[in-house]
Amino acid sequence: VIEVSIVGVGLSRFGRQPGVTGRQLAVVAIQGALADAGLEWGDVEAAYGGSDSSGLADTLVTELGLTGIPFTNVKNGCATGGSALVAGYNAIRSGAADVVLVVGFDKHPRGAFDPDPADWGLAEEIGHAGLMVTTQFFGTKIQRYMHEHGITADSLGLLAEKAYLNGSLNPNAWRREAIPAHDIQSAAMVSDPLTKLMFCSPGEGGAAVVLAGGEGLRRFGGTPIRVRAAVSRTRPFGSFEVFSPWLPPGELSSVSTAAARAAFEMAGIGPDEVGVAQLQDTDSGAEIMHLSECGFCADGDQEKLLREKATHIGGRLPVNTDGGCIANGEPIGASGLRQVHEVVTQLRGRAGVRQVPDSPRVGFTHVYGAPGVSACTVLSV
Amino acid sequence: MERVSASGDGTVWTYTVQRFAPKSPPYRPCGGGFEPFIVAYVETDDGVRIEGIVEDIDPAQMRIGLPVRLVSVSDVPRYAPNRKVGQL
Repeated sequence: VIEVSIVGVGLSRFGRQPGVTGRQLAVVAIQGALADAGLEWGDVEAAYGGSDSSGLADTLVTELGLTGIPFTNVKNGCATGGSALVAGYNAIRSGAADVVLVVGFDKHPRGAFDPDPADWGLAEEIGHAGLMVTTQFFGTKIQRYMHEHGITADSLGLLAEKAYLNGSLNPNAWRREAIPAHDIQSAAMVSDPLTKLMFCSPGEGGAAVVLAGGEGLRRFGGTPIRVRAAVSRTRPFGSFEVFSPWLPPGELSSVSTAAARAAFEMAGIGPDEVGVAQLQDTDSGAEIMHLSECGFCADGDQEKLLREKATHIGGRLPVNTDGGCIANGEPIGASGLRQVHEVVTQLRGRAGVRQVPDSPRVGFTHVYGAPGVSACTVLSV
Repeated sequence: MERVSASGDGTVWTYTVQRFAPKSPPYRPCGGGFEPFIVAYVETDDGVRIEGIVEDIDPAQMRIGLPVRLVSVSDVPRYAPNRKVGQL
């Protein structure tokens, strides 16, 4: 099997950028990733990418150059970037290309994400009744989890406090002001038990990754980061997803558990070996549940981990070291590759004031999107 | 695939409170404008969890395990506290 490595990563700025299009954010990210790799667009042999609502990735060839390469559009909700990466990874492993570019981007206005029931195969009445609201899913899922596993609202505050603290250390983040847990918990309630400051907001940004393998890697002179696994999964029966009109009896299943397990198995690496992780943090509750769904702790241990700051940058398992979605916002197409950008930066030891100490050697990324798709990577030096 | 009838009564398995008015369309507030409402999954006696709206209760009184009965299915399942069970 051909080994795949990340040889370049690039990001646009995140957060509101009036007058700049989503496609422009993508071009900035791509040019950053190519420059990081020491390559030019003409070196790229295949590309995969997408946005949720800011246009088609393959049209970026207008700005990048008409080199004639295959450029496949990917659209997989919040997992778009992760799914594009899996496609690029597989293209190299199959021998179809040696240098692949992967890009994700989006630009959402305030209050975006107002899905139409018909697009989801649901009855119109569900929308009329006011049940097509994504925040309801996050509220109901964590409410049940807290009840079953003894997590308190303090954990929700502490988790977002960490996100804003990490964001304050990240010059590229949207939210750069540290906010104490108390203020987060006393902010306006959006969807109980989650307050306004516990949610990420629809945002803007672009992220790109250059993958290389085979001859492509031999041409490259820098320090590549190895992709030990990249997998995506759709939901199994019994998983609790957004806009589920019903759930079956018994214990819940989880698409994130399925994807993480497959990624660790493919890598031959366990969660205990991971030194830095990025987990989808649409809201405080999501990161708490994804910690256990991805295999990093037992259900209910999160309260203790958060009180001990175990997931802070100086802790045992630093999570969302760049501030995650909560501090960077959620440009749907970009977030999965922003995570990869951050883990690569950490593994290279170039994260500056937010650098995880003691040179982490293994990183993990996890995105999760509606209605039950998850993509995970295991990366190593 | 086979159609199965679920029982109407059950207990609240989880819930949240919709604190702000959902976007219209598709939301159609009824009567005199938006009031926060309770979204819940109700675990029926068969163990199935059905999403619906719980009416006739103050959000502060909501709790997981609250017994509810089905009062309407004209748009989405709508429940109300089952006071016969809940009050001793």
